[in-house]
Amino acid sequence: MSRLKSVLAYTAAVLALLIALATFTGMDSFGRKLVSVTGIKVSPWMIGGEVVSVIEHEGYQTVIHRPVFDGLFSERKKGMLQIDWTPQQGLPARVDELIDFDRDGKDDFHIVLNPESNKAGLEAINPRVVSIEGCYTLKDGRAARLSLYHD
Amino acid sequence: MSVFSPRPEMPAPSTARGIVRAVLLTLPMLLLIAMMMTQGELPKDSLTRAVTAITYALLGAVFFLMVYKKETYKYRAALFTIVAVCFSIAFIANLVEMRGSMAVSRADMLAGETPFCHLVIPMVIIPAAFTRTIIFPGSLLEGFANIASMLILWLGASLALGRGWCSWVCFFGGFDEGFSRLRKKALIKKIAPVWTYLPWAVLLTLALISALTLSPFYCEWLCPFKAVTEFEQITSFKILLQTIIFASLFILLVVILPLLTRRRTQCGLFCPFAAFQSLANKINIFDLRIDTEKCKNCRLCVKDCPTFSLDENSVGRGKTLMSCTKCGKCVDICPQRAVTYHIKGTPVAVGSDTARILFLYPAFIFMSAIGGSMIVSALTRIFKLIATGSMIG
Amino acid sequence: MLQGFILGIASGTACLAYCAPVLVPVLLGEGKNIQRNYVILGQYLGGRLCGYLLFALLAWAVRFPLSGLQDRELVFGVVYVVLALFLVYYGLFNHRALCAGQIIEQRPIKRFSNRLPPMPLVFGFLSGVTLCPPFLLAFTEAADKVAVWQSLLVFFTFFLGTSLYFLPIPLVGAFNRFDALQKVGKLAAVVVAVYYLYAGLIKIAGGVIVS
Ligand code: SF4
Ligand code: SF4
Repeated sequence: MSRLKSVLAYTAAVLALLIALATFTGMDSFGRKLVSVTGIKVSPWMIGGEVVSVIEHEGYQTVIHRPVFDGLFSERKKGMLQIDWTPQQGLPARVDELIDFDRDGKDDFHIVLNPESNKAGLEAINPRVVSIEGCYTLKDGRAARLSLYHD
Repeated sequence: MSVFSPRPEMPAPSTARGIVRAVLLTLPMLLLIAMMMTQGELPKDSLTRAVTAITYALLGAVFFLMVYKKETYKYRAALFTIVAVCFSIAFIANLVEMRGSMAVSRADMLAGETPFCHLVIPMVIIPAAFTRTIIFPGSLLEGFANIASMLILWLGASLALGRGWCSWVCFFGGFDEGFSRLRKKALIKKIAPVWTYLPWAVLLTLALISALTLSPFYCEWLCPFKAVTEFEQITSFKILLQTIIFASLFILLVVILPLLTRRRTQCGLFCPFAAFQSLANKINIFDLRIDTEKCKNCRLCVKDCPTFSLDENSVGRGKTLMSCTKCGKCVDICPQRAVTYHIKGTPVAVGSDTARILFLYPAFIFMSAIGGSMIVSALTRIFKLIATGSMIG
Repeated sequence: MLQGFILGIASGTACLAYCAPVLVPVLLGEGKNIQRNYVILGQYLGGRLCGYLLFALLAWAVRFPLSGLQDRELVFGVVYVVLALFLVYYGLFNHRALCAGQIIEQRPIKRFSNRLPPMPLVFGFLSGVTLCPPFLLAFTEAADKVAVWQSLLVFFTFFLGTSLYFLPIPLVGAFNRFDALQKVGKLAAVVVAVYYLYAGLIKIAGGVIVS
């Protein structure tokens, strides 16, 4: 019995070497498998919700992300909405837009952005829109995050 | 017999047999390192080729010495420290080249381009289980240190080495290891054992708070190693405060306390990943055992364990604590040679050198695969600096 | 009446998430078995109920006195700081349960702790009055009520709804044979305290700046 145990133990120890080798040789394919099997994604709180609509303007576009209310177990009462303006060189000196983020045909807020100073002003029309959380520089454009209440 | 009498069964490394044995055991490792470093193709430019050759020689020499001298700790610790320093040089130079500074901007974060590091793993698990999302602004599959490849690296190393990760794989651990070895004697000798529970408390709290806030709290607020990698651009009072906190923690836990105590205080008393990774020792096949018949209870190992992984009770039971990083120090310093690497399920003190060699192979593969590329990249930068006056470009 | 209960059920997970960083370290720190943990949970929830009902009375009596953002931030900031201080006391000084290694000499503190109600009750009370955002919703609901008993009832039923989610937590008592967990719980209380201290001070600073 103890001999069998020892044999199994030494086998497992040799297996550790194989695992070490497999980790490096198969890192990319194992990584892809891990992502596809688990279906994991990067949290929308980190990189913004999925893009739900794109408004084309002359020289630039406004990208509206999905409002994020995702919580650990259930949706949160307060969430975040990200809007991007891109590309950088196409942006006018003043971006002035009425946005309907929930796509109900009614404008939800009026936002004015100065891409140069990266400052924005907000006028909420829909009471769910609370305030501007911050304005950020993107690789090729600008973004603003707004805080929202759940409906 | 005094406990400080010469070590029994001391190896006789000077014999020709010893050398032949060490060479034979090193050859397969040299082959494996060569495969991993070159991936079947020699570097094109002469500088990288030369630097790769230097790194290869260094790695080969370290492994040979470990086998030939039958000592693990001092060679491992030296290489581990070199890897950490090289990692930092290569990482920072790379960042400066790509972004112009060490500071990570909001643009990089919103684009999901922050390199993922293992320290955040315990904080992403609960949110990943419930929301199937990773609360880190990195890339899943693209680019350097992407989330998926780091998770695979961690899974592989956890299976193969358990918490051996913290002495063989972690590219940060070498910093406090290095500082802990700078002084000959410790100025602070006694540390209340209760503090060894702090990593668990930090882990518990951070896992809960990160799950609650859905953000990587440790990265944002506490990680001392941001001081030697990257940190968020200071654009608000909050970020300024975070910067002060991580810089102070680095100075205290990674520099000052290791110097004063000769222990790895960040890894033994604070790092939440350390606590989390200790659980991996439960599934790993390797551990360290103390032959209680040989042990004379001098407590040298208890006093010297860098990560506080031995206490009198554990020595009495012939085992280390769960937090053992398999660094090999207790094995090397025990005057009775009572401490040995061991394969679970086999008798203690039988075939201990085989167990050590069987552990060294996967451990060294991880160390050289991770560290080798870092050393190559840092040396290249350093030679560039000497030749052109700048590391960048 | 049903309104409060449904609101409680709907917000329970959020309440649990907000309370867990305080409750889990306390349950571990006490190091009791599962049955005794239910008693501790009872104390915690009792404290939380007291907090709710006190605010229900306030809501009714003064008609939502904390409507101004700056007042709310100030008051909650102060409660956070008080909570942090109690957590530090619990982790390092409280002599009733094993302290984190008896790090600090305790004699002057002993008299103080003899006069205090059980710690889980205190933590429940302080969490009850501040921590969860759904609580503010219930608060708004209660403020609309004409009679005091209606106000109290909304809070009580809200409390019942949310409490259901706390029932599994005492199961951590299954691990009470690991002494180490008790120390971990105590130290975790101190780490959580640092977090609430920071959050509290920021809220106070925010409140002061706004006002
Ligand atoms: S304890 Fe933490 S920092 Fe230290 S080696 Fe382990 S993971 Fe790295
Ligand atoms: S018990 Fe020994 S091998 Fe384990 S960490 Fe301590 S000194 Fe290193």
